[in-house]
Amino acid sequence: MAWLVEDRLKPYRAKRAEAYLTPEIKKLVSEKYFPRYPTKHAALLPLFHIIMHEYGYIAEQAIDEAADFLEITRAQVQDAVSFYEEFRLTPSGEYVVNVCRSIACELCGHKDIIEKIRTVFGIDPGETTADNKITLFEVECLGACEQAPCALINEDLHGCLKADDFAVRLQQLPAAASNGHGHRH
Amino acid sequence: MKPEDLASLADKQRAINAACKHRIGVCTESGCVSSQSDQIAAKFNELVKSRGLQKDVRVVGVGCMGLCGNGPMVKIDDGAPMYQNVTPEHCAAILDGLDSPLGNPQLRHLLCDLNQPFFRRQKLVVRSNSGLIDPEDINDCIAHGAYESLLKVLTELSPTDVINQITLSGLRGRGGAGFPTGLKWSTVAKAGGPSKFVICNGDEGDPGAFMDRSVMEGDPHRVIEGMAIAAYAVGADHGVIYVRAEYPLAVKRLTRAINQAMRHELLGNSLFGTRFNFNIEIRLGAGAFVCGEETALIASVEGNRGVPRPRPPYPANSGLYGCPTLINNVETYATIAPIIREGAAWFAAIGTAKSKGTKIFALTGAVQNTGLIEVPMGISLRDIVFDLGGGVPAGRTFKAIQTGGPSGGCICGQNLDIPLDYESLAAIGSIMGSGGMIVMDDTSNMVDVARFFMEFCMSESCGKCVPCRVGTWQIHHLLDRIYKGHGAPEDLVLLKELCEMVKATSLCGLGQSAPNPVLSTLRNFESDYLALIEKGRADREAALSGPHDSGTTVPLEVIS
Repeated sequence: MAWLVEDRLKPYRAKRAEAYLTPEIKKLVSEKYFPRYPTKHAALLPLFHIIMHEYGYIAEQAIDEAADFLEITRAQVQDAVSFYEEFRLTPSGEYVVNVCRSIACELCGHKDIIEKIRTVFGIDPGETTADNKITLFEVECLGACEQAPCALINEDLHGCLKADDFAVRLQQLPAAASNGHGHRH
Repeated sequence: MKPEDLASLADKQRAINAACKHRIGVCTESGCVSSQSDQIAAKFNELVKSRGLQKDVRVVGVGCMGLCGNGPMVKIDDGAPMYQNVTPEHCAAILDGLDSPLGNPQLRHLLCDLNQPFFRRQKLVVRSNSGLIDPEDINDCIAHGAYESLLKVLTELSPTDVINQITLSGLRGRGGAGFPTGLKWSTVAKAGGPSKFVICNGDEGDPGAFMDRSVMEGDPHRVIEGMAIAAYAVGADHGVIYVRAEYPLAVKRLTRAINQAMRHELLGNSLFGTRFNFNIEIRLGAGAFVCGEETALIASVEGNRGVPRPRPPYPANSGLYGCPTLINNVETYATIAPIIREGAAWFAAIGTAKSKGTKIFALTGAVQNTGLIEVPMGISLRDIVFDLGGGVPAGRTFKAIQTGGPSGGCICGQNLDIPLDYESLAAIGSIMGSGGMIVMDDTSNMVDVARFFMEFCMSESCGKCVPCRVGTWQIHHLLDRIYKGHGAPEDLVLLKELCEMVKATSLCGLGQSAPNPVLSTLRNFESDYLALIEKGRADREAALSGPHDSGTTVPLEVIS
């Protein structure tokens, strides 16, 4: 059987005309971060935090653009970005629900929460609902063990969760338009 | 800011605080906020306004008061009375009882007994202002003594004096390993180079630990002050606080604190009119536990994968961008200002011969009182669990206490009377760690606990060195097999061998300490392992000798 070789030169994905690294982002990073470090490379994490915040995920095209912008190779960017759990390479829903799977939460029933979300919304950790509203993740300790089990909905911490109540709370989350701190502009 | 401005600013704010008859402190740390403490603060403000009490009553958001399990907490004036489990409906009654020093008698069920061992046996050094000050208001912090130690250091002490003080205090790193802080500082101070860095490690990732989060949220200026003193002592002018992105509130509070400190010229150039310059920036982690390891953290700040590298060279000689770099934990920096203010001898008088001072622990799991405690080193685990913690809930019995998270071990009842210090914990196969303490009762199976921690280490292993990458996977596989009843007695020998190998040959602390939960449970709770193996064997035998139509399927590949 012949090796299947992917042609790296062909356009590997739909390229969008509009750049992910907008002039505003570039300006922010150039002014705020570049002067602080001896290399542009050092601004990689802050840059991708901005991209995550802006788009909710990191598109491949953004990695290319970042490589040019930071004056390093695409491989170097890919190497770093793929290492960190919080940098997601696929789009997330409007709400990212991070359920803590740490020891205290584990002892207090984190599995019930995941199971409930699975039955109500039909998603497993790492998946997004069909209406693109909720993406579920399991994360390491959120440092709120006294409130176990706990979860973050976007940046808000919710503690002492009961599976049924939490599912209702998720169902009642307002739709995208009124979601104050969602990403994706 | 000029040196004399700090005192006048403090006096001014104290006068403002004193002019107000009552101060209602509502806990605004992550835990209490998630149980709607922000709504309680809003309700108080609304009531104060509608009753026309604005002149006499001030509502402030304060840091953690410790008893997080009973939150939201509300503290009146400087600490008494204190209410627990408050809801917005209680606010009116609390206001009614403001003038009574014992609180509103109708709310007796909410009054927190401040004389209980949980509070009485604590010794607050790092957390002395937590729950008192408004962490979002630098003036309030200054009124409570913030930046006084920095002023003293910059105007009265030489860098060598500072390092001598820290060395004499006997302070050891609070991140877990317990390296003498004074020695680390003097190494960085002696290292040459055009620039040096000071890094604060706030990448607190141990399951069950949240001390650093609380310190960053409840008293961020104390961390900043400690870093500035450290920078002066070692000759650095740039600081980095590396915080987990999972702690959004800590990031917000620190950012705010840094901005306020810059506006007050407590960060920036020529602090207090001296030649000392110091700036701090916050860097966010991105969900990688291994970045708590110092060389991995540095790699991450430089914009790379957060993987550790072999030491030496130590960061003290070659750290961030190859420059000498001082890395300490959040709690270590937060201990500096009190040491400078009260003196090294005062600090050294607390604790044991080799472990000085106090340590914050996050007490969770099967105990009555869960939350944060700051206790003198040398206190016994028994006192923590049964006195401060109030013992395990009724109807259950104590089985083990886990310290040090995935790098620590499970301690059994027989060892509860050892003094809590770095050496004693190491001697029984655990570690001080960053301060997580999880109490387990008789319903917890130790094999399951070991398996949980190994799964964590396996998924957080960065993959750079083979013993950790492959070893943790193999150990987890074995534990899983035993837990599911497919194990054999020989597996325990193999497990132990594997653990010793991973411990001895891994590159960094993550791998070197990952086997601790397994080794300590093997030593102290071997019966749990043997019971599972025996049960599995009995089940298989019963299935084989029983009627074939029983429907039980026996996995036969199990003992491989």
